[in-house]
Amino acid sequence: MDTPRLRKNLPLVALLLPALLMVGLLFVYPLLFSLAYAFRNEGTGGWDLSNFTKAFALYGADVSLTIGVTLLSTALVGVLAVAVAGYLTLGENPRAVAVLRWIYRWPMFIPFVVAAQLMRTFLAKSGMLNNTLMSLGLIEPLNAMSLLDWRGVVVTFVWKQLPFAALLIAGAMASMDRSLMESARGLGAGRLRILIEIVLPQVSATVWVSLILSFVTMLSALSVPMMIIAGTPTMITVDMAWRVNSYGDYGVANALGFISFALSGAAAWFYLRQGVREGGKPA
Amino acid sequence: MGAEPIISLRGLRVAYGSNEVLKGIDLAITPGSFVALLGASGCGKTTLLRTLSGFTPASGGSITVNGRDIQNEPPERRGMAMVFQSYALWSHMSVAQNMGYGLKLRRVPREDIRRRVDALLTMLGLEGYGDRSVTELSGGQRQRVALGRALAVEPQILLLDEPLSNLDARIRLQMRHEIRSIQRHLGVTAILVTHDREEAMVMADQVVILDQGKIAQIGSPEEVYQRPQTPYVASFMGAENIVACETIRDAASMTLRLAHTPQVAVRLDENAFSVPAGPVQVHFRSEMASLGAAGDAPDNCLRIPGTITQASYLGGGYRCEIKTDCGHFFIDHPRPAQIGDAATINIPVSALHVFVRPGNTEVPRPS
Repeated sequence: MDTPRLRKNLPLVALLLPALLMVGLLFVYPLLFSLAYAFRNEGTGGWDLSNFTKAFALYGADVSLTIGVTLLSTALVGVLAVAVAGYLTLGENPRAVAVLRWIYRWPMFIPFVVAAQLMRTFLAKSGMLNNTLMSLGLIEPLNAMSLLDWRGVVVTFVWKQLPFAALLIAGAMASMDRSLMESARGLGAGRLRILIEIVLPQVSATVWVSLILSFVTMLSALSVPMMIIAGTPTMITVDMAWRVNSYGDYGVANALGFISFALSGAAAWFYLRQGVREGGKPA
Repeated sequence: MGAEPIISLRGLRVAYGSNEVLKGIDLAITPGSFVALLGASGCGKTTLLRTLSGFTPASGGSITVNGRDIQNEPPERRGMAMVFQSYALWSHMSVAQNMGYGLKLRRVPREDIRRRVDALLTMLGLEGYGDRSVTELSGGQRQRVALGRALAVEPQILLLDEPLSNLDARIRLQMRHEIRSIQRHLGVTAILVTHDREEAMVMADQVVILDQGKIAQIGSPEEVYQRPQTPYVASFMGAENIVACETIRDAASMTLRLAHTPQVAVRLDENAFSVPAGPVQVHFRSEMASLGAAGDAPDNCLRIPGTITQASYLGGGYRCEIKTDCGHFFIDHPRPAQIGDAATINIPVSALHVFVRPGNTEVPRPS
């Protein structure tokens, strides 16, 4: 490169350098480091898959549970968020729509750890849910059971993540041309039909984006499984924390992290593909 | 007009909050007719259409279709299909799927849907477009698909909400006639909302002119054009030159004279003008008046002297702006006119639309 050009670009490089250094040192380097060290065998000092073998031997069930819980929660978030957003868009009782609009966003402002704590008192064996059901005579005290296992995690995830997805989807639905829905109604379609056959296909890109972002958020939550699931099986974020805090075993923690990263990566790939498709869509 | 009306509105009122948009509409529509709701923006014409279709609730009055009150029916059970200004086609469906959607809702067998859609595609000049995506079509083709979608369910009543406003001028002229002939062919009752008076006159049997939430006049295109009953209708139907005058009644006749130049006067045939003596405003069309030299004295004309201040070529002739003591007027003239020349506007008495001028109010000058 010729020197005048370099001199001209020097101020630009100087401006960008602090930001690049920050991202590089604090994000890219540790990420690559931990991904690489998932393959490091501390015992032999070589590189192999031993951390993964150990991770699957110890936490194979947890990996399955993590995938199952996250996918189930994502699916429930999708169904409920579409229902909430659909009612906000197509509901005809102005008071009910106003109340729902006011109330549905609340959980978004509650941190995961607080949400988990709330759910502990709500879902426990002697918690509010069981007490209410018992006082209504719907269940016998003997049948009361604690939901503080994977089911509790699903309930918490859905409760916490639903407003986010509903907000995005309702926004997309609100920006649709109303006449798209009205023309279907004029032809004789009921509102549920319009939601499924007209509105949903028109906002499908936003639905996918909100679900992918929810999936990644839930996959990385540590506090919820840690507080709600008492024993095993649990989610791999808890296992990672356990390996690091109790054993100083970064190898297995890194291997679990790699698996988590691969799952998010798959979701991110879908996200980017969706973005490309949206960007390339004829206006 | 002997037939029972298919739609009748009585005292229909619609309000958005405290803002009353329709202030008591009474209207009867005969089956098979083509009615145009015409008016400036904000006059309530679209609200009237949306109230008919059930998307906007009425705050008073009644709507009956075939003698049945439909006020509490949701839009999907009113048997009216609507065509929107924005086409409102579903981009995730093909042309044929869009057009067949209403039939699918009615559980028509797939084979019958295909046959009906094919027939409609042929009628609308869209053969072979069934499998295309609607996003690949031009504006005119999209509006044809939207029309086909509405017609596929064989509605009793077809509602058209400014369906041609988004189209190119040339396509718009062609679509006017197409929609009109399809409507005649099928015998469906159609209600068109438009702000274009020519469109209303070309397409409709009956023109309803709305002004600030009330009906200003109902009539055939000839009636509303030739015999406007209010100054608003006269202006809206193109009689946009307005001049302040006075009428004076003497023993046997009535004389009209300019308010600003009382020496300019003309005798009115009393049978044709039913206005009392006093202040009036007179509307006339640019194309009904002519320009003459100061010396000419044609019979039965109101003659306003002035100066030519502008002339523009319109194809068929020249439209001249004439400055006079009582305002500016636009007059059509077959030959090029010299700017700055003196000229006299001759308006035949038969081309004058005379309305009572409330009090001594100033007459709005044409802009």
